[in-house]
Formats: sequence, structure tokens, C-alpha cells
Amino acid sequence: MVLCMSVLGLALAAMAFGSATRPERTTPTAHVQPGAAQAAQTRFFVDPTPGRVPIEALLLEIENHVRLEQAAAESFVEFPTKAMLHSKTTSTFVN
Amino acid sequence: MTNGLPDLLKGLSPEDASEVLALGKRLLLSSGAELFHLGQDADALHVIQRGRIRLTLPMQLRGHDEQVLVEERTPGQTVGWSALIPPYRFTLTATAPLETEVVSFSREPLLAHFAEHPAVAQTISLNLASVIGQRLQLFQTMWLREMQRTVELRYA
Repeated sequence: MVLCMSVLGLALAAMAFGSATRPERTTPTAHVQPGAAQAAQTRFFVDPTPGRVPIEALLLEIENHVRLEQAAAESFVEFPTKAMLHSKTTSTFVN
Repeated sequence: MTNGLPDLLKGLSPEDASEVLALGKRLLLSSGAELFHLGQDADALHVIQRGRIRLTLPMQLRGHDEQVLVEERTPGQTVGWSALIPPYRFTLTATAPLETEVVSFSREPLLAHFAEHPAVAQTISLNLASVIGQRLQLFQTMWLREMQRTVELRYA
């Protein structure tokens, strides 16, 4: 009986010690949350759609693409080969 | 204009070319002015004397119609050949990005001249076929290149 009580007491003490010294599981999440909140706050005041290209820049990009494609097509019409047909351009639209 | 005759009049004698040019009317476009608009009745074709003409089509970008460049034409080149091809309606919008001068040829006087001068009509028709054929070849090529990319993206 005394032995059983001792083993039980030891087990309880071990559990209590383990629980007291275990690292906080929620710590990483807790560290991320303030950061995310800060980022959301920044977006709210600065740019609701970060990375969105302005329409003027987009139109210029399309125009550049059209010109490059036209030049590539003209080269193909002049020297019609399979390689020329699928030649690559430097267009940012397709690279 | 570039040295020599414009694309449309190539192969004509100087006299024949002068007679055709006399049918035209000079038109000065200020920067940003529209020469013709998509869907309009096409009753005149235009030879660019100086400046530049942008041919555009509307494209939906973020819910708005934006004019997107399809082709740019330079002095000596012809725009608006829809004026001679049924159903005589423009399929593009043409604008001048800078001060530009064109010679405009109305369809009726041009066709009347062709009826009286079949040899001139043949030369100009072949020149026009060349302009149209070149456009077709270019766009056929560009279309296939885009299709290739679409297939690569879709089935990569």
C-alpha cells in the first residue's frame, strides 16, 4: 500500500514537473499574430492590393508585348521555319 | 513621306500615280485625334504622309475598356482598306499619337477612276492585296504563338 502510494505520488510529481517545465505550445502562433495584424494594418493604410500593376504600366507592358510579338511574326513571315515560328521574345508578359 | 511612292501606288508610272494622288484629300490630324472608329462605315482609305497612326482594339482591363495597340503604321503605308472591302466597316480604331498628315481617298471617286483605268486598278488592287495578305500572315502567326502558349499553360 505504501509502495503504491509512493509510486502514485512520484508519478504525479513527475507529471506536475513536466507540465511546469514544458515549453509553451502556442508561443509561435502568438509571435506570428501580432506581425500579421501589423501587416494588415499597414496594407489598410497604404495599399489594399500590394503588387498590383498600375493600369498605365499594364497598357505599356501589353504594347511592348504586341510590338515584340509582331517583330517575331514578321521574322517568321520573312523566313518561315518552325524555329522562327516559336522563337522566344523578351516580353515580360510571357517570361 | 518616305522616298518614292506609297505602298498603295507602287508599280504605277509617275503620271498614273499623280492622277490617283490628285483624287485624294490631305487631312491634318492633331496629336490624339481619331481618324476612324471601330464599327464606323468605312468610306475612305488613307495613305500616311507623315507622322504615325495607331490601330487599336478595345480590351477589358479591370472592368474598363482600354484601347490596346494592335498595329502601328508609318509614312508610306495605308490604313483603312475596309473602305474597299465589303461590308465597308472599320474593324479597328485609328488614332494619331502625334501630329500626322494623311491623304484620304474616298471610295466612289477611286472606284470611278478604276473603271476608267483598269491597269491602274489592277496594280492598286494587287498592292492592296499585299497589304491585306501581310496583315493576315502576321496575325495568323501571332495567333498561333498565343495558342501555343495557351496550350503550354493549360496542359503543362
